[in-house]
Parts: sequence; structure tokens; C-alpha cells
Amino acid sequence: MDSLNIAATGRTPDVHFDFASGVLRMRGESYPDDVATFFGPIFSALRAYLAEPDKTPIRFDMELVYFNSSSAKALMNIFQMLETVAEGGRDVAIDWYYEPDDDSMMELGEDFSEDLKAVAFTMKARPAHKTSPG
Amino acid sequence: MLAHQYSIIKRDLDAKGIVFSFSGYLSEGILYSLGEALREKMTLEETDGPTIRRVFSVFVEQMQNIIRYSAEKLTGGEQRAVELSAGMVTIGMEQGKVFIVCGNIVLNCDVPRLRERLDFLKGLDKDAIKTYYREQLREAPEEGSRGATIGLIEIARRASEPIEYDFAPSEDGKTFFCLKVRI
Repeated sequence: MDSLNIAATGRTPDVHFDFASGVLRMRGESYPDDVATFFGPIFSALRAYLAEPDKTPIRFDMELVYFNSSSAKALMNIFQMLETVAEGGRDVAIDWYYEPDDDSMMELGEDFSEDLKAVAFTMKARPAHKTSPG
Repeated sequence: MLAHQYSIIKRDLDAKGIVFSFSGYLSEGILYSLGEALREKMTLEETDGPTIRRVFSVFVEQMQNIIRYSAEKLTGGEQRAVELSAGMVTIGMEQGKVFIVCGNIVLNCDVPRLRERLDFLKGLDKDAIKTYYREQLREAPEEGSRGATIGLIEIARRASEPIEYDFAPSEDGKTFFCLKVRI
């Protein structure tokens, strides 16, 4: 399946889902005016990928430095999709990156990981990558 | 006379500690530009990173609430799918703390539900807000809400004191709603 690449804009993140290698990454900031329009194609591509019989291990790199509350719900949706395939036996890891002084993002990582049992969830403190707004 | 009138407005803003204000029709583009200006200003003043992030987060949620729920809207015709929502946003300093006050017109019929949500949030302590956020994160969106519940929880979570709100009757038979958040 082709990879999904979406370039960052001022209000939406850089999305790089390399389905062949199983490495999925979101980087930057997410507070689009219309969350459904932005995340819709991401959900569809991910759903199609997860429905394939492929058992390649998946790693999701959550490298957002900021997301608004409606993006939070969309992100949770993605995590729930990943948890479902992990329950089905697929190897899935989520790495949650946050800046070392960002207590809010660290705490959000704890909120998101709460119900994830089959997914291997890891919190990683490190300075953020800068994405240039498009 | 002109300078006098506007200096009164300026003096009133200054007296309230307001350093940043906008009133009028808002769009997502304006949200983005104002947000960038706000972050730049705080960075120049060497505000610490966590505070900048909390202020920005409350700012975005408040602005998006106005854009979604303001009952004072201008809608383009079929040719132009544009919708502008009116409201006001002010940001200032008070006793060493940043505050954001947003105001917009709401429909009278929406007041009871909004009041109920805000009262509920006001009554929660930090841990209860966190638990409530976790619950709402996993809930399907409420019908007709377009996600206001979790947006308000996010606002309450980033606040350092209980949120403050008020309603006042406006001409046109609607209601002016105001929300003050201290960070």
C-alpha cells in the first residue's frame, strides 16, 4: 500500500505514514478549523492498511507539540484503531514524544495511554523537531 | 473629539490590564495570525514555555468556541462558502497572571445547557477535571455539540483558578456570554 504523506501547514501537522515499513508519524501542530476534513483521509488510509492481512510490526511516532481538543479526539480514534489490531496479535508500539519542560503534553500522554493494554506505549522526552509552516 | 473617544477605550483597556484585544468578525485565519502574534509577544517577554503553551491552548479553544457557537454570524451565499462569526477576545495581566476573556452572542435556548456545563466544570478540582477529560476523550461526540464539552474541559484544565463566566441580555433578544480564564 502506498504511503500517506501530507505536508504541514500552520494549523495542521506533517503526516508521514510509511505503510510498507510500518512506521507512522505525525509531527508539528494540529488545530485545524475542520477536524473531520483533515483527519478523514488519514482515518480511511489507516483503516484500509489495518484491514490488510499484513503483520508487519507498526510503530506510531506521536511527535505533535500541540493539538487542540478536537484533534485530541481524532488522535484517540487512531490509537483505538491501533489497539484493536494489537489485541488481534499484531505488534504495535506508540512512542509519545514531548518536550522535557512540557508537563501538559506529558500528562496528555498518560491520559491517552490509560486504556491501551495491547499496544506498547512509551513516553519519550526530547526537544521537538521544528516544522516550517507551509 | 475622535482622539478623546478612542483614548477612553484605550484607557479602559489599559486599566483592566488588557494588552491584547480583538472585537469583530473572526475566521480561522485570524485565529492563526492572532495566535502567532500572541506566542511571539510572550516569547519576546521571556514568558516560560509551559505558560506560553497553556495560554495558547486556552486561546485556541476559546476562539474556536466563538467561531463554532457565536450566534452572530455572517454567511456567504451559495457562491462563497464563507462563514464569519463575531465575538471578542481580550488577553491581559492581573496580579502577575495572564487572563483571557472571550465574549460572544449566544441563543437564549443554548444558555441553560452552557450554564450547566460550566457550573459542573467549576465544581471540579484538578484531579476530577483530569478524570473527566479522560472520559470525554473516549466518548463519541454529543449530538449538536461539535466537541464543546472536551474543549471546555481543556480550558478548565489549563486554568490556574476556577473559570468565571457570566451572561447578560443583549438587544436583539439574545444573550451575551462571557468566559474568563486565569492561567
